[in-house]
Amino acid sequence: MSRPETGKPPLLDVKDLTVSFGGFAAVKNVSFTLQPGEILGIVGESGSGKSVTCRAVMRLLTGAARAQGTVALDGQDLLALGEEELCAIRGRDIGMIFQNPASHLNPLRRIGQQVAAPMIRHLGIGKREGLLRAVKLLEDVGIHEPEKRARSYPHEFSGGMKQRAMIAAAIGCQPKLLIADEPTTALDVTVQARILELLKELNRKTGLAMILISHDLGVVADICSRVVVMRNGEVVEQGPIDDVINRPRHAYTRLLIESQPGRKSYGSVGSPDRGKSLLRVENLSVTFPAGQGLLGGNSFRALDGVDLEINTGETVGIVGESGSGKSTLARSIIRLNTPSGGAIRLDGQDVGALAGEALTAFRRRVQMVFQNPYDSLNPRLTIAEAVAEPIWRHGIADRKTAREEADALLEMVELPGSLRDRKPQQLSGGQCQRVGLARALALKPQLLIADEITSALDVTTQAQILELLVRLQRQRSLTLLYISHDLAVVSSLCQRVYVFKAGRIVEQGVAQQVLSTPRDPYTQALVGSLARLPTTQTIPLSQGVATHAT
Amino acid sequence: MAESPVLAQTAPSIRRITPTMLVALVVLFGWLALALAAPVIAPCDPDAIDIMNMLSPPSAAHLFGTDQVGRDVFSRVLFASRIDLLLCVAGVLPPLLIGTTIGLLSGYFRGVVDNVFMRIYDLTVAFPFFVLVLAIVGVLGPGLLNFILALTLVGWVSYARLMRAQVLTIRESEYIQAAKCLGYSPAAILGHHVLPNAIGPVIAYAVSDAVLVMLAGASFGFLGLGAQPPAAEWGVMIADGQAFVQQAWWICLFPGLAAISLGLGFALLGDGLGQIHRRGATA
Repeated sequence: MSRPETGKPPLLDVKDLTVSFGGFAAVKNVSFTLQPGEILGIVGESGSGKSVTCRAVMRLLTGAARAQGTVALDGQDLLALGEEELCAIRGRDIGMIFQNPASHLNPLRRIGQQVAAPMIRHLGIGKREGLLRAVKLLEDVGIHEPEKRARSYPHEFSGGMKQRAMIAAAIGCQPKLLIADEPTTALDVTVQARILELLKELNRKTGLAMILISHDLGVVADICSRVVVMRNGEVVEQGPIDDVINRPRHAYTRLLIESQPGRKSYGSVGSPDRGKSLLRVENLSVTFPAGQGLLGGNSFRALDGVDLEINTGETVGIVGESGSGKSTLARSIIRLNTPSGGAIRLDGQDVGALAGEALTAFRRRVQMVFQNPYDSLNPRLTIAEAVAEPIWRHGIADRKTAREEADALLEMVELPGSLRDRKPQQLSGGQCQRVGLARALALKPQLLIADEITSALDVTTQAQILELLVRLQRQRSLTLLYISHDLAVVSSLCQRVYVFKAGRIVEQGVAQQVLSTPRDPYTQALVGSLARLPTTQTIPLSQGVATHAT
Repeated sequence: MAESPVLAQTAPSIRRITPTMLVALVVLFGWLALALAAPVIAPCDPDAIDIMNMLSPPSAAHLFGTDQVGRDVFSRVLFASRIDLLLCVAGVLPPLLIGTTIGLLSGYFRGVVDNVFMRIYDLTVAFPFFVLVLAIVGVLGPGLLNFILALTLVGWVSYARLMRAQVLTIRESEYIQAAKCLGYSPAAILGHHVLPNAIGPVIAYAVSDAVLVMLAGASFGFLGLGAQPPAAEWGVMIADGQAFVQQAWWICLFPGLAAISLGLGFALLGDGLGQIHRRGATA
């Protein structure tokens, strides 16, 4: 992290940038500067205009957008340039990496060719020379066996490796500025930590200036020296990272900091070990047939001998990265998957053997809230209909009474009555997730499973949903199984956690303990990857985080 | 089930008709009105032969001229619309209903039934559509009823495939998972959650399929396998007039134009319905 030196002319000078789509101003009078060698963070929620700002800098906006103001790179106004001059600058002077590396790599071309392409185009070097340099770049961004990997196709790369390849392609022409738009949002936390480490290292070694766009203040605080906080298209605050985080001047910045997972403990409801056992998972295995090859594919074991127990009134967390089997567990509990071995028992009764009336009774006791706020609601039903449906379908009340109950439930999840006749597409993600909660609670369940319910939401919305969840849990004495990839969220919410890796439980225990003194190396890596704000207590790492992709 | 979700969905969207839809509706209702009013409007008996007046060009007496046996082309075009419109409905509805049901069930439940139906799909699409219909009509014998039967036997496959593909994506969505988790019955899930979200493309396809059926009807009439002479049918009329197209272009031209306008009407309606269904989720 290099501090900006005063007196030097800025590398990038954005003055009074306004971007409007039709009559709607997505970005209003945004000004900031970037010194050579500096890493600047732009933080804000979705719709705050942070991505639009950077696309305006790159002039990547659609035809309907109008940009006003000045964007000067080394004194040259980018907004005034013609298309041809722009093409010469894009990729050569400014590199850009995006949120979803998979959609920015051509699946039909080898990685090496794609990394070499901008160099061949901008630096006028030959194909052979380009490929040689591409191999060198892949090595620089921490890809093992770069010669071999350069001949691979994108589908042979993991998410983290694709993002590394994108970075390699972006820095090939030795740009002056790298714009990274949510570069780690689609990645698992441990991979995220390694990619951020790589960006830091690039900055340290080559003095490459960067703009890092993120919704995650923790990520920005980790690698940026200065930060710009945006909201509704306006800059609400900017300054050195320490000042902004420790002495936030704007109310929104304070809210953003407050909402950081792990900043706030939601307090344990009752102490663990009290209450009797409600749900027991015994030696559960789930196998999926994988690959339907001619010789009969080998099967994929999503869960492998998992033992787990949830007591009445407890909040239990499950943490793991994508593919660790945590969602498979949730789906097995609600009988959307058939286990290949082991048993799930609710009050000692085998869930897998339930049928007819007993199954209906089970459905009323155990409910689930799903991950994707929009996908989990039928797009053709109004939210009041969606919430009322379980009530009348289970014969608890007639349809008219069910509608009244649905209104009460919507009120309980703090949705204004004026929204009741809207369809999911007319609501925000956070509002949809509230509807999902209300629908799950309509049958007055005892156990509620929440599968990544906040992972698609902004941090401030996430904090609100978590608060709501805790309040509902108290009011309705719910037992909660909270599944997340985010250790910080889980530990602030849950009393006990289980850490999943590759279908097995690698660590379990009291939440605070797992977070403060992780025993398993994987948990340690997970704890180490938490991008946290500098003021929170730091935990000494017993193991460094590798900067190489695996 | 008491609710009829499809209707409930389409009813409010009637207020948002696009200009293309309006054109389509005007054309289709226009033909419907003409077909119903044919006996009143038609100046002559469509089957009345007038040897003295054969192959006469369009004139005040015969707006569209007369054919090779002196029948009034205008009256015949009007009367033929009754057969062609009926053909469109009768040729589309049975495969639509059968195919949609099969596609819905096999896509949702998968398993053996799905596999069996998949093989039948494969078998059916292995033959060109017309060849198969032709073969079946050949076995059953010519005539409109057999033609519709053959169309149903072959046509349901397209609906089943389309529906199945829709259902396969919808069944994985979280709202279906949630519905299962909430303990809704399969009938409730299929009728209330899957069908309304899957039916849009099927309806749009059905309308464009009506065009295909009409053209098939015309072609089969042309080959003498569909509507039987002397019944007026656009395809039959074109077929009959073909030999005289050098001297009397009007025998072929007017039924052809009629077929094109009806086809266009259906195609535009299909477009419009597809659009409305897509917007249905957002309104």
